[in-house]
Amino acid sequence: MRTLRVSSFGIRGFVGESLAPKVLIDFASAFATFAEGRRVLIGRDTRYSSPMIHSAVVSGLLSAGCEVIDFGICPTPIVQFSVVPMKAAGALSISGGHNPMGWNALTLIGSDGSLLSPLGGENVLDVFHAGDFRKEDWQHMGTVLNASDFTAPYFDALEKHIHVDAIRKAGFTVLIDPVGGAGCSFLEPFAARFGFSLVPINAQPSGYLAREAEPRPRSALQMASIIQRLGGHVGFVLSSDMGRMSLVTEDGEPASEEYTFAVIADHVLGRRAGTIVANCCTTRAIDDIARRRNSTVVKTPVGQAYVVSALMDEQGILGGEGSGSVALPGFSRAFDGFLMMALVLEAMAEKGKPLSEMIRGLPHYHIVKRRVLCDSRKGYRALEVLRGRLEKRGDGHADLTDGIRVDWEDGWVHARVSQTEQMIRVISEARNRAVAEQRAEETSRVIEQEV
Amino acid sequence: MKEALKVGVSGVRGVVGDSFTPQVAASFAQAFGTFVGRGAVVVARDTRPSGAMIERAVVAGLQSVGCKPILAGVVPSPTALILTKALGARGGIVITASHNPSPWNALKFVERTGLFLSETRAQELFDIYHQQDFPLVPESDIPAAAVETEPMETHFQRVLDYVNADLIRKKSFKVAVDCCNGVGALHTVPFLERLLGCKVVPVFDKPSGFFEREPEPLPENLRQLCETVVKEKCDLGFAQDPDGDRLAIVNEKGEPIGEDLTLAFAIQQVLSHHSQGPVAINLCTSRSVELAARQCGSEVVRTKIGEINVCETMLKIGAVVGGENIGGVIIPAIHPCRDSYAGMAIVLEHLAMSGKTVSELRAAIPRFFLVKDKIRIRGEQAPVILRALRQEFAGEKMNLLDGVYIDFGESWVHVRRSNTEPVIRITAESPSQDEARRLVSGTRAKVESAI
Repeated sequence: MRTLRVSSFGIRGFVGESLAPKVLIDFASAFATFAEGRRVLIGRDTRYSSPMIHSAVVSGLLSAGCEVIDFGICPTPIVQFSVVPMKAAGALSISGGHNPMGWNALTLIGSDGSLLSPLGGENVLDVFHAGDFRKEDWQHMGTVLNASDFTAPYFDALEKHIHVDAIRKAGFTVLIDPVGGAGCSFLEPFAARFGFSLVPINAQPSGYLAREAEPRPRSALQMASIIQRLGGHVGFVLSSDMGRMSLVTEDGEPASEEYTFAVIADHVLGRRAGTIVANCCTTRAIDDIARRRNSTVVKTPVGQAYVVSALMDEQGILGGEGSGSVALPGFSRAFDGFLMMALVLEAMAEKGKPLSEMIRGLPHYHIVKRRVLCDSRKGYRALEVLRGRLEKRGDGHADLTDGIRVDWEDGWVHARVSQTEQMIRVISEARNRAVAEQRAEETSRVIEQEV
Repeated sequence: MKEALKVGVSGVRGVVGDSFTPQVAASFAQAFGTFVGRGAVVVARDTRPSGAMIERAVVAGLQSVGCKPILAGVVPSPTALILTKALGARGGIVITASHNPSPWNALKFVERTGLFLSETRAQELFDIYHQQDFPLVPESDIPAAAVETEPMETHFQRVLDYVNADLIRKKSFKVAVDCCNGVGALHTVPFLERLLGCKVVPVFDKPSGFFEREPEPLPENLRQLCETVVKEKCDLGFAQDPDGDRLAIVNEKGEPIGEDLTLAFAIQQVLSHHSQGPVAINLCTSRSVELAARQCGSEVVRTKIGEINVCETMLKIGAVVGGENIGGVIIPAIHPCRDSYAGMAIVLEHLAMSGKTVSELRAAIPRFFLVKDKIRIRGEQAPVILRALRQEFAGEKMNLLDGVYIDFGESWVHVRRSNTEPVIRITAESPSQDEARRLVSGTRAKVESAI
């Protein structure tokens, strides 16, 4: 059985195995207990299991007396954005995100619109483990209301952070592939607002995934093969929840998902220097860009909750991850696909350069990602062994912020137990492709011997 | 926990906010889905405020094991039974605690035949539930829920096909209806007005689930209906219970005639004008009902108490009409279930064909007096008491289907253990009120000496 992953900001599992109605109701009840039966927003994506999870979760919220505002099919970042204006105690988002078919997850969102902090999340987990849920009697059952008019305030706010006129004037043709997920019906209003001509791909809402949901070059091949013929200026490849994105250039090259954050960071820091926040396995291009722009980088463990929380603590101006995610603190506390698309279009419009040229101007590294299948118990032991080996290899200093990272002058290797699947993820980056490949290979081999 | 969950032949009952949780509802739905197999399952509920919460848990539970929920919405229990059979569904789940007070709710399970589960079938279901090992389906096999847009149509058409609706319409009866804030508040007025041409004065017709009177349609709970009949000069009054399976009648003078008599009227009308054949009634139904059937030349069979027990006997012996003393009319040609709508139509037809008033029809039926009592006991004392009574009454004509029923010719006394409370119920009936009282007090003395 593929295990259930329970963390302080949500629960993730495989439908038909671990992700079953009772554990979902328990988790929703624990969250409702934490939210003290007040107003809670809920949204979901289009995966086949999402309506079932939605029913289970709403039932748990109602039994605790929550006032549920139902967003129906809605991208996670829009749900997150709406928490503060709607004065909700929190929100829940149901989405398979970047995971393959069969996986789904329930994400917990706090009253500030960010993923639940480790502290708040631990409170929810305590209630979950104790099974002592808030339960209202028949006279105080919760209510469900369909959310209305939440799209306009969201795009209004986004427009305030973007030079829409510049984008409008540029007259872009933009390919967007939301993988049949939560973003589908939001693309047209987005295009109308930001003044570009939209070519939707895989934009019929569906639980069937026409491609891998994880935005990266491999899943961008469909788009890359047609973008030139369609005269597209840029292509955006998104996850089911609209939280992650990778780019396709106008000449049909799928860019590594690492470039999403890099392109945007170079653009934002170019206007104003400041602190940016990245996780500990994001491309070193980010560090180089920051240095070039007289800015500093704060590193955190992997995950939106950590990045956004540091972004607030450090008063950073931008945060993101190499998996293709960016958050802008003045706008919202979410990794947000619409924000990322708007910022990339703005960068292209203001610089008047094609995307391929912008990417060529960025520091260039080769990044290699490997996965070693193993169950999590063996995984943590393997990392301990790896730590001993690697510390002797690199510059003698292993970073243990999240998993293990070792740096060399020309690159780094990072290994970490996946929080979503039964595997260890190995990332190796270096200026030279062969070196990056070789270090990834050596690291994977050490782990494989252990597991 | 103040009130334990009650799992029995009539389903799973509990107090919302206490033992009856969404987790329990989802697990039972999973067990039921496993029990009936993948396919369509009708889901219906009454007006209780907890119904919407429980419905979602049930839907999630069903979907997780591959059953397709068909949402009938807020409809009478007989409608859900009829729909289950008519749609060819695998089964049905009715969310209603029937005549229990508002804090309670329950799940009742329906076979594909449109009957509630029999005792042995219910035991099989509970066995699956207790194993808690439900075969979950993979994500791609999760069926989408469907909404039944015209849930009442089949039910009402069956009733109209059975009675002479034209004749009833010609009479333009003026009818007061007490819906007890239950499902009748949504469906009874249109049924009587549009389909049977009545002028309707409704009472307690907000479908809120906040019962403004005691939910059982007993004479002492119908004061407002009685006053309305008099004030509005109605031909008669009908009183339903919250889920619309039981029916009581108030005569044109504003007097409740007792729920037993609903059954007597229905039996007379069916046997005289529809079809001849045997009649089945439960053990504690009034002798006047039995006499009404015998006057029409029918054989009368007594059954155990409980809807499914009466229905099974009726189907076995080919009964044309029957029911339970609590105002539960069953006409198998419409559907083998307690149905207040079938009851209303047949009673109106009786009035229309006979041209008589309710009190005139009542006067033609021999009068018996019913006296009831109950004694609180400890659970384990019940068999001792019943054994002692069997010895005491050894020489008499006895029926031991359900407790001890002693037949003295014109009078009878019945002692049984309640299915829902730790009490022994004593009921006696006789043409003389004094004799009925004497039978109860004499039996009570025997029970007390046995304790």
